[in-house]
Amino acid sequence: MPGLNTSLSIAVQALQAEQGALSVTTNNISNVNTPGYSRQVATLNESPTFHENGTTFGGGVTLEQFQSVRDQLLQLRLYEETQQQSNSETQFNSLTQIEGIFSDPTQGVGGALSAFFNSLSQLSTNPTDANARQQVLTAANNLANQFHQAVTGLQTIQSGLDQAVPQTVDQINRLTTQIAKLNGQVVQMQGLGQDPGTIQDQRDELIRQLSGMVNISVTQTEHGLTLTTANGVPLVVANQSFDLKSGTGSGSTLQDVFSAQGQEITTQIRGGQLGGTLQVRDQVIPQVLSQLDTLASQFANSFNTKHQAGFDASGNPGGNFFTPPAAVAGAAAGFAVAITDPRLIAASSDGSVGSNGNLAQLLAIRAQQLPSGASPMDMYSNLVLQVGNLGANAQANVTASNLSVRQITDQRSSVSGVSLDEETTNMIRFQRAYQAGARVVTTVDSMFDTLMNMGVVG
Amino acid sequence: MRVNPDMSGDVLSAIWQTQNQENTALQQMSTGKRVNQPSDDPLAAAQMVGNQDHSNRTDQYLQNIDTLTSQLQTADGALSSVVQALTQAITLGVQGTTGTLSAGNRQQIVENLQGIQSQLVQLANTSVGGSYLFGGTLTTAPPYVLNSSSPSGVTYIGNSGTNRVQVADGLNLQTNLPGNQLFQNAGGDVFGALQQLITSLQSGSAAAAGTATNQLRSAFDFITGQRIFYGNAVNQLTSTQSFLQQEQVTLKSQANNLVGADITKAATDLTKAATAHDAALAAAAKILPTSLLDYLK
Repeated sequence: MPGLNTSLSIAVQALQAEQGALSVTTNNISNVNTPGYSRQVATLNESPTFHENGTTFGGGVTLEQFQSVRDQLLQLRLYEETQQQSNSETQFNSLTQIEGIFSDPTQGVGGALSAFFNSLSQLSTNPTDANARQQVLTAANNLANQFHQAVTGLQTIQSGLDQAVPQTVDQINRLTTQIAKLNGQVVQMQGLGQDPGTIQDQRDELIRQLSGMVNISVTQTEHGLTLTTANGVPLVVANQSFDLKSGTGSGSTLQDVFSAQGQEITTQIRGGQLGGTLQVRDQVIPQVLSQLDTLASQFANSFNTKHQAGFDASGNPGGNFFTPPAAVAGAAAGFAVAITDPRLIAASSDGSVGSNGNLAQLLAIRAQQLPSGASPMDMYSNLVLQVGNLGANAQANVTASNLSVRQITDQRSSVSGVSLDEETTNMIRFQRAYQAGARVVTTVDSMFDTLMNMGVVG
Repeated sequence: MRVNPDMSGDVLSAIWQTQNQENTALQQMSTGKRVNQPSDDPLAAAQMVGNQDHSNRTDQYLQNIDTLTSQLQTADGALSSVVQALTQAITLGVQGTTGTLSAGNRQQIVENLQGIQSQLVQLANTSVGGSYLFGGTLTTAPPYVLNSSSPSGVTYIGNSGTNRVQVADGLNLQTNLPGNQLFQNAGGDVFGALQQLITSLQSGSAAAAGTATNQLRSAFDFITGQRIFYGNAVNQLTSTQSFLQQEQVTLKSQANNLVGADITKAATDLTKAATAHDAALAAAAKILPTSLLDYLK
């Protein structure tokens, strides 16, 4: 039969266990606002029982371990949605800027094109009017300016995105270095049978940040996590990290991304901030630019052809009105009026100074199909439609991915988040248990006292 | 079941969402536009490009109509003066054919007729803003110059070109009649008949003067006939103008349908969003500070 000493030692164990459990609560409370922190619980176990004379006696309590509460699957989904979220946010931010270039129908290339045709129409009422002729040149130069401004605007956005590439790559490398270090520690602790708790939290939070940068795939191996880009370029294997590199590749002025082995992987990066940056820089902006180029080049060429069929104010055959674009690429940036003398506008269809016959031909271009199959205005309004659609889609993606991230964060938080109410309750539980344990000690102490005094004759 | 203990994220997101709705409604009310950037409604924004161009074009057509109307009215006014001058010339011609005139009287008539001739040349050289209305498409120089060696007394240095100006989509209106068609037509040659009248009066041939006066009459008839061209053109411009003004109204309302904000709806949206925003804030104020700690003594 166990004696008072046994009771005392069990009571002490209880005091220690409750103290330990309280320290978990303390730690949880202090980390209530730490991003990525998973709450811990103290695992209390019964100590081994012992038998005496056919009776089994309880052996007290042991504080087994501190266990972090986490759901690995939710964590993986969080990575997935985070890369989607920051990808669409990056795209949306750039697209909002791009939209600004095309937002006002009275301004920009569309407005200038409309005004240019109007100036020709005005001239047709009096083809010898020097002011009206000058007005045509002014409107044409304004059109050229609008083309240039649109191109410059797009290029500014593009080069801003380009500058972000090496910065993002640096951030990725900083994160993978840290993750590899923590990954090694996690494996080491798991090997020793310890719960890597906080370190794993830190690592997971860094992986979440990394997934905001680039699309990664996470594989659990016996050596910890292996992180690769979605197409298999290793970023972290066990405790080793592989730095991505950025630099201008062959035949490109833009920053490309290279794997640690020097393989170019720019086009393979899709998700995360880096993916979004590259997507807008390499797909969206070049596409918009190329449409502007097509419009500028086809318009300039068609206009020149018609212009050459007419006669200027001196009766000479018309020359090029716009500088003929050397190639489609760069036509918008190089869009320029070839003439400075208003008398060189070929308004006349027969060489007589007052004829406006050729202006009608030039004005007809407004509604005529260019080689692209659409009129200049339709080409421009198509461009507005496309830019608008890209912006609207990006916005919808941002809204959707924000919602997903919030839902998953909520779910994750419902598993791993620290609840102050719960911790307060636990605190009271542990405090009460500690008080009771202490009372046992006092009681046993007084029993000892009684026992000691039994032999004393009063 | 364990629930997400941290409500701050949801609360913030609700507050932001309602705030965003407020902003949208406010922007719509202050700009009067539902589509403030292409992504607000890509299709409407794209259609606005066409609408705007159409509207610009219509503005220009209306301007063209103003310019042309004044040109055509000036031309018609000049022809009306031509008709008056011709009436006077015919009267003088009739006087000249009576055989009882003295040489002095005939000379008087000839001088009057020469005055009319130079007046007609002046009228045929009518210009608007430096552009001569009756020179065909050679509009920078006066188309008629006096030339006593020519049988018609004048030389036409214009051409037979005509111009057309677009005044509506698909409507190109002819805007001029060249001088040689108006004044020296086979159906009636103003200058030829006048010169002939002068010559026959100078030579004293009453019969020839009679023939010339008859020719003047047919020139009078012809010019009067040609004036219909200008009248018609002005009428056509007037009706086109009212059509275009109607079109402007249609385009404006189309633009409003495409990108304009429904102010009533925006105001209602704003009220709704404000109520939702208030509710979110009130809920946040109620939920966020509560904790078990408040109830523990």
